[in-house]
Amino acid sequence: MEKVLELKGITKRFPGLVANDNISFDALRGEVHALVGENGAGKSTLMKIITGLYQPDEGEMFLKGEKVKINGPRDAIAKGIGMVHQHFMLINRFNVVQNIILGYENSPGGVIDFDKAKKKVEELCELYDFKLDLNAQVGDLSVGHQQRVEILKVLYRGAEILILDEPTAVLTPQEVKELFVNLRKLKQEGKTILFISHKLDEVLEISDRITVLRRGKVIGTVKASETSKKQLAEMMVGRPVLFRLEKPIVKTGDVILEVRNLKVKGSIDRHQLNNLSLSIRAGEIYGIAGVEGNGQRELVEAIMGLLPYDGGEILIKGKSNKGLDTRAIRETGVGYIPEDRHQRGLVLPMTVWENMVLGLERKPEYSRWWKLFRDKIKSLTSKKVEEFDIRLGSIELAIRNLSGGNQQKVILARELSYEPDLIIAAQPVRGLDIGAIEFVHKKLIEARNNGKAVLLISADLEEVLSLSDRVGIMYNGEIVKEFVPGELELEEIGQYMLGAHKEVGVG
Amino acid sequence: MNKRFKIILLQLLTPIVAILFAVVLSSVLIVAIGKSPIEVYQTMIEFSLGRADSVGAILFNATPLIFSGLAVALSFKVGLFNIGVEGQYFIGAFFAAFVGFTFTGLPAFIHLPLAILAAMVGGVLWAFVPIYLKVRRGVHEVISTIMLNYIAYSLIHYLIADLFMDRNQKVPEGLGSPLIRTPHFAESALMPKLHGFLSFFGIDLPNYVYLNWFFVIGLLLAVGMYYLLWHTPFGYEIRAVGSNPKASEAAGISPNKIYFKGFLLSGAIAGLIGLSHLLSFYGYMDLDFPKNFGFNGIAVALMGNNNPFGIVLAALLFGFLNRGAEGVQTFMGVPMETIVIMQGIIILSVVVAANILGRYVKRLEKKEA
Repeated sequence: MEKVLELKGITKRFPGLVANDNISFDALRGEVHALVGENGAGKSTLMKIITGLYQPDEGEMFLKGEKVKINGPRDAIAKGIGMVHQHFMLINRFNVVQNIILGYENSPGGVIDFDKAKKKVEELCELYDFKLDLNAQVGDLSVGHQQRVEILKVLYRGAEILILDEPTAVLTPQEVKELFVNLRKLKQEGKTILFISHKLDEVLEISDRITVLRRGKVIGTVKASETSKKQLAEMMVGRPVLFRLEKPIVKTGDVILEVRNLKVKGSIDRHQLNNLSLSIRAGEIYGIAGVEGNGQRELVEAIMGLLPYDGGEILIKGKSNKGLDTRAIRETGVGYIPEDRHQRGLVLPMTVWENMVLGLERKPEYSRWWKLFRDKIKSLTSKKVEEFDIRLGSIELAIRNLSGGNQQKVILARELSYEPDLIIAAQPVRGLDIGAIEFVHKKLIEARNNGKAVLLISADLEEVLSLSDRVGIMYNGEIVKEFVPGELELEEIGQYMLGAHKEVGVG
Repeated sequence: MNKRFKIILLQLLTPIVAILFAVVLSSVLIVAIGKSPIEVYQTMIEFSLGRADSVGAILFNATPLIFSGLAVALSFKVGLFNIGVEGQYFIGAFFAAFVGFTFTGLPAFIHLPLAILAAMVGGVLWAFVPIYLKVRRGVHEVISTIMLNYIAYSLIHYLIADLFMDRNQKVPEGLGSPLIRTPHFAESALMPKLHGFLSFFGIDLPNYVYLNWFFVIGLLLAVGMYYLLWHTPFGYEIRAVGSNPKASEAAGISPNKIYFKGFLLSGAIAGLIGLSHLLSFYGYMDLDFPKNFGFNGIAVALMGNNNPFGIVLAALLFGFLNRGAEGVQTFMGVPMETIVIMQGIIILSVVVAANILGRYVKRLEKKEA
């Protein structure tokens, strides 16, 4: 087959770092070529070079055998390279066609010919089997359909090579399936797809070939049919990785967290909670599955006293948290790993040791009102740094200098340091690489084995299913289904996540 | 370790380089008005630093700016912008004045501390309104404090010119009208000058220099604020909330409580700003009571990078420039405004330089991590 895109010896240096080191690979016509690698492996730098946002320091790029230089995204799309971003760049109040032609309106005499544009979009939909209501406002579409709009956008502009950046991160299992149907069709029609992901199962399913990056270098390119998840993970991390987490059977204890008929009224920036009930026992991980934005954040914030609730009750170790502030709730024995560690979890300009006691600074071990025991906190931090294998230059550095994984380890060390009975872990591994994910999961399971109750909220279904003892599916502010992993097929779970099924009176 | 040293060295050098840059830039201005920059600077330095009375005046000039810089910096640290320092110091000064002229016959060791305390209460009261509105009603503190500054000016005007005006002034027959001012304060409310203390060290300040113990109190306050911010749990919480209120909240520190306490403390310090002038130079409060220390405090805090010791240095620099301005105006006929412009250029250069340095340090740290 014809080589559509070929990179030879691409090198890109940043001060103190070689982001791409002599990278060579090629993509064929009608191929799905996956690029995998941990955070910081150089995937996004490479994509930025291919779409012209960065210029390589060394190396050459060929399109259909011709040497090219790409001067920016506009130039890239003119040469047939289109990028589908992970975060959609759509205008909710515009309809599908308006969104697709935005920035590419052919408007002789200042008038946009919408009919012509719509006809062209319809043709594309037909050709590639995209089912989409072209007159719908984009804001009313599901996430999966919005993604189709993004893909159509680059097709409309004549892309031959489509780059998809973590396209499945926001999708339910059904939507992933539908996306893959679309991608296969695109491939059939001769398009080339660069698929960036770290979900190895999906990569193996959809790709023809897989190129693995590690620390800016190409580790190898393998055929999907000739490799395995295990081999890929090993290539990515540089050492064997455990996938099956060891989870001994633990006898559950008392109910630690009980949520009864919790109600929160919805508003512009908050989703409603509708009579939500759940209970978690000591020695149990309760996972919440569901598409993001169905009330997960509100549930967590209500438990932590960050959001007042309008009805129902939340009992922590049998005591209501109503009227308690966040500090008092934490002191009853709750550890909290917030979903957004930069906004909610850390004070980025402060040092590592200062972050290690955030919220704990008033404990008698760490201070009196007139003195912060800095030396004591520092030596505690050094101990935790060792225990949690946090990689850093110095604990005196601002924590913003640490990698995401190491930052999350600081939060974990802090939240586990006071032996809470209940751990609220919201998206605890978001944006982390395999090594760090493995570590966080191990710690959560360790806590469970030691008789703690864990509430795990994750957008990653696979994570929820592999970690949890019980799972509740959340849809539109309710737990619509509770089950033990293994009881339900993925298919069914996905339907619950989309609200297709509904069981009343769970919990 | 070598890198740490390098960072500290750079932090010390940056303001110096920025000031030199500003000096060069200001030279253009001086040349434009037809004077020789070298002579102007020479006069400034000789006049400001070569005489004991000038040095005393510089320290006296710097005193209110130390307080106002600290007051503004504290609000910055907690993540708020207290533009109301101006109004708070006016109200604080009036409270002190009230105590000063109302009580008589108190011993100085009660009367003076009482006046100082009253000033702090006044500052706190004036800070209470905007922070209450912010925490309870979400009113932005910048808007409410600016408004309250004007209210403070007018209120003080009314109090001095009407309610508490000294009507017992002896005005010689046919020689003008009585001054619009409060009665004189009792001697016991006045802050002693530093002259006696300094004479122990062989430094003799002339009587027309009003340098007093408020300067020393300002220095001690700077040390105290440094300790508060970096060595107490409350200071830790101030910095945490100031840098990231959402994370602090999630960790159990209530941002509203910290905003409240921090802002009132800023107001209390603001209340002290005018006292060095009021309780020593003036001895009464009148309509000419100096304005703008509060606003200049913003510039001082900015230049001092919100660091208490940086603020002391910045206040001294401002004091020096003011004194120097008097010198070049008197001896060289260079208008004082030239020096005001120079102050502006210095502030801009320092802020820009600090920003560049900040980025560079971040990058150095990144490499270390």
